[in-house]
Amino acid sequence: MSESPSATERVRGRLAAARDAVGDAYRDPRVTVARREIASLRSEKTIVLALLIQLFVASFSSFLVVGLVSLSDPGSVEGYTADVAVTGEATDDLLRAAGTESGIDAVPYPNRRSATLAFEEGRVDAVLDTAVRDGRVHVTAVAPDESVRSTVVVVSLRDALREFERAEREERSAALDFEPLSLPPESTSSPYFGFTYTVLLPLLLFLPAFIAGSVTVDSITEEYDRGTLELLRVAPISLAGIVDGKLAAAAGLVPLQAGLWMLLLRLNGTPVANLPALLLLSAAVGLLVASLGAVVALTAPDRQVAQLVYSVGVLGLFGGATLLPVGPSNAAARLAVGSATPAVFAVVAVAVVVAVGGYGAARVVTGRTAGRMA
Amino acid sequence: MSTSRLDRLRSRSRSAGRRLRRETRALLRIARWEVSRGTNSFDRRTAAVTVVVLLVAGGVFGGLVASGVGSVGVDSGLYRVGVAADSPYHDPVADTSALAARPPAEAEVVDGELRGGVDLLVRDGAVLVADSQKGQAALSTFRDAVARYNDRRLGEEPNRGAAFPVLVTLRYAERDSAPTLASAGGRSVDDGSSGSEASSDSSDAGEPGASGDSGGDGSSGASGSADSDDAESGGTAADSGADGGFEVPGLGSGVLRTESTGSPADISPPFPFGSLVLAFAFLVPMNFVAQAYGGSVLNERVNRRGEPLLVTPVGPGTVVAGKTLPYVLGLTAVSALVALLVGGGPLSVAAVVPIALLYLAATFLAAMFARSFKELTFLTVTVSVFLTSYAFVPAVFADVTPISLISPLTLVVRDLQGTGATLGQYLFSAGPFVGCAAVLFLLGVGVYREEDMFTQRAVPLKALDALDARIRGKRSMLTLAALSIPFVLVAELLVVAVLFVLPLELSLPVLFVAIAAVEELAKSLHVYAGFAKARFARTVPTALVLGALSGTGFFLGEKLFAVVQVVGLPSLTVGRAAFESAGAGIGPAVSPATALALLLAPLALHVVTAATTATGASRGREAFAGAFVLATLLHAGYNLAVATVVSGLV
Repeated sequence: MSESPSATERVRGRLAAARDAVGDAYRDPRVTVARREIASLRSEKTIVLALLIQLFVASFSSFLVVGLVSLSDPGSVEGYTADVAVTGEATDDLLRAAGTESGIDAVPYPNRRSATLAFEEGRVDAVLDTAVRDGRVHVTAVAPDESVRSTVVVVSLRDALREFERAEREERSAALDFEPLSLPPESTSSPYFGFTYTVLLPLLLFLPAFIAGSVTVDSITEEYDRGTLELLRVAPISLAGIVDGKLAAAAGLVPLQAGLWMLLLRLNGTPVANLPALLLLSAAVGLLVASLGAVVALTAPDRQVAQLVYSVGVLGLFGGATLLPVGPSNAAARLAVGSATPAVFAVVAVAVVVAVGGYGAARVVTGRTAGRMA
Repeated sequence: MSTSRLDRLRSRSRSAGRRLRRETRALLRIARWEVSRGTNSFDRRTAAVTVVVLLVAGGVFGGLVASGVGSVGVDSGLYRVGVAADSPYHDPVADTSALAARPPAEAEVVDGELRGGVDLLVRDGAVLVADSQKGQAALSTFRDAVARYNDRRLGEEPNRGAAFPVLVTLRYAERDSAPTLASAGGRSVDDGSSGSEASSDSSDAGEPGASGDSGGDGSSGASGSADSDDAESGGTAADSGADGGFEVPGLGSGVLRTESTGSPADISPPFPFGSLVLAFAFLVPMNFVAQAYGGSVLNERVNRRGEPLLVTPVGPGTVVAGKTLPYVLGLTAVSALVALLVGGGPLSVAAVVPIALLYLAATFLAAMFARSFKELTFLTVTVSVFLTSYAFVPAVFADVTPISLISPLTLVVRDLQGTGATLGQYLFSAGPFVGCAAVLFLLGVGVYREEDMFTQRAVPLKALDALDARIRGKRSMLTLAALSIPFVLVAELLVVAVLFVLPLELSLPVLFVAIAAVEELAKSLHVYAGFAKARFARTVPTALVLGALSGTGFFLGEKLFAVVQVVGLPSLTVGRAAFESAGAGIGPAVSPATALALLLAPLALHVVTAATTATGASRGREAFAGAFVLATLLHAGYNLAVATVVSGLV
């Protein structure tokens, strides 16, 4: 009993100390600057706009890929069967091979004229005219010149003809040094699986970072431009503090947005593995890009020039980074899909180190700028 | 007397000419300032930073490309395949960047099922697949890899007849023009460099790698010679089963529908990838120029810097024209340069300039609305993203459907392919863009005045201000409604394009509602602005009059634009539904009385729905929202009814 008041007091004292610490942090001018930044983003509703932009980019790129896949591989999208007239010397062999393909319905025709007539009258979608010369089968394929349909027909024809080629090759295998490997079974995979992880997910993970850098550039050049930097410098805060606050606000929002997108992907039925590592990667890229923005804005305070230099610089750096053996976007894809090797985790670690280095560079440039201003 | 009148006329025309000359001089001077300001802001330090950043970025990029690491794709190591080093399947896995070969010992196999560690396990010639989406995707990639490996190894065989026993010549034939096998599309030599090379190769029709040209550029390089395997491993965005498709852009050979010869693996469906990539080159500089332009406009608004120009006797229109002129000229010059580089003709430039105008117009308005540079950045990014996708996405389908003509970029693709375009198609494509650009500039110039430029307000309020600045009286409702037509057209075409991929049963109802909503918004927004700014008395009679005027204006504007029907858009079912209410799709089978009724019915509809929203607008925001929903439903119901009646009649 006698101990309990002291325990309560201890807790209370600790709470007070914590409150003081939080209060100190709250009064930290850097936090004030960061809060001001976020408040301005909120009042201008730009963060909503940013999320909308990202959603728009993501949905349009998905739309694009669905369109592209349905063009390059229409059979995967809908169960379409092409009626094909087959004629010529190798009719029987071709019919046998085409029988195993689901996308094609081959019908024999006695000669080229009757097949062409059937094609013109629309009874068949394509004509395959076969002739055997020098031990090889020459196939003349005629597909309709009808935009979407010709795409579908050509894809069906190709699948059937590849099967035919395989069968013909089998008969001639004695003359070959290399015996072709037998193909693994067909899969039921969605053609968009790879796209989701290699394009969509990195896009959603890194877009917030680019926007954060752009915001940093604007935020700093605007202080110069409106002359408010002078006002801020009268306040009890160093230039480094100001830049820190702006960086914290811009880069801090990056993993939040990225996390939101990853959760949405999960809800959408796309499993995302290694979430902490992904968020760490996006935070590191966010800090690096925002630091780059700060460096550019401090050295070239003209907003137009700074934005231009920043955009070109980021595009170049990111373009270059994707060419690395394990670039950030490849690392993100492998982390999310669950194929991460130690090398991938090393990339995340390197990204963190580079980001801290970038922040250090921003501090150095800030110090120089402050010295010049004083 | 007549001489004095003639004198007056002459002197008036002379003074008008003088004024025109003065304005032109002022315009040119402002344009010169704009250019010099842009160059002056590049001081020595800035230039140094620019050079350093560009060098670093370019160096990283170039260095990696030069060192050959660049062949690694974004999908590298995506799937893990357990395969022993001595297995015949090890080589195809090792050759494919998306597949990572792992020792089979890493696989966790329980009761003959693959539970983890790897996604695929090749053991004793059989393949174990993990029971997941990823396992199936890995299997699909593995199958393609083995097929490609087979083709590559067979390409090294001395006995070509046994390795590639089937040779396919693919031709395209139109059905109604009575083609025969012999006459169906002869060999046409491509003018692109890689294309002509390919077709000359294909004369010795034994090489599977040397297919003809056509769209087969992707697979022709990939399946033939031994060194081409890394070409395939590049950016496979979706590992679809088709091993041609869109992975590798074969720049230069964009001509479709030509003959091609090769092994069956080499034939691939028509796809305008090369031209598409080149067309994209036109869009990239626009984003940068628009960014600079927006910054320059917003600059005038910071710290009242634009005030000296405002107090000069030059009108705001001239100031804006002067500030815009260098950017328009610059973009035109850049587009011409790009056209020269990628092999486009005057049509490409003529098609790109309307896009450039719309970029600048939207950016100008964004800069007039933005409160800060941060907000401007977001607005310009929104504009860029929207316009880029609006221009680019339809162009993907350039060879598939006439609806793709809603984007002028489609004209560029056609120009690069040598297909060309008719004047009607050009007008259909470019008209809405130019119209939108003109209206956006008009709205922006309206708020290019002291009380709007140097105040800070939220963007939607600024937009209402801009609309309000154009209201001179009740009759303005008529003109503003008519002016909204290009936007309505663009928005509706976008809706049509997006819904095009959906099945018809699903897309038509959505389409009717979406289109009704777009039109109702266009008819009511300026009315709402007028009421919000207290231009008009908030009474029911006023609201009815305003609504009637707005509806009539919209009807007249719509009739003016019914010309789009000529271009052949109605050949699409979706397109016809979109423009049904324009009343132009009446077939000859309809009697004159019905025709008149069908002509006047849309007028009645527009007047009624616009009056509904106007009445709502006069009561405030919530009432406006409610009335808007009501009007949209009414409009959609009408469209549906007309579509049923017309299709029943014809």
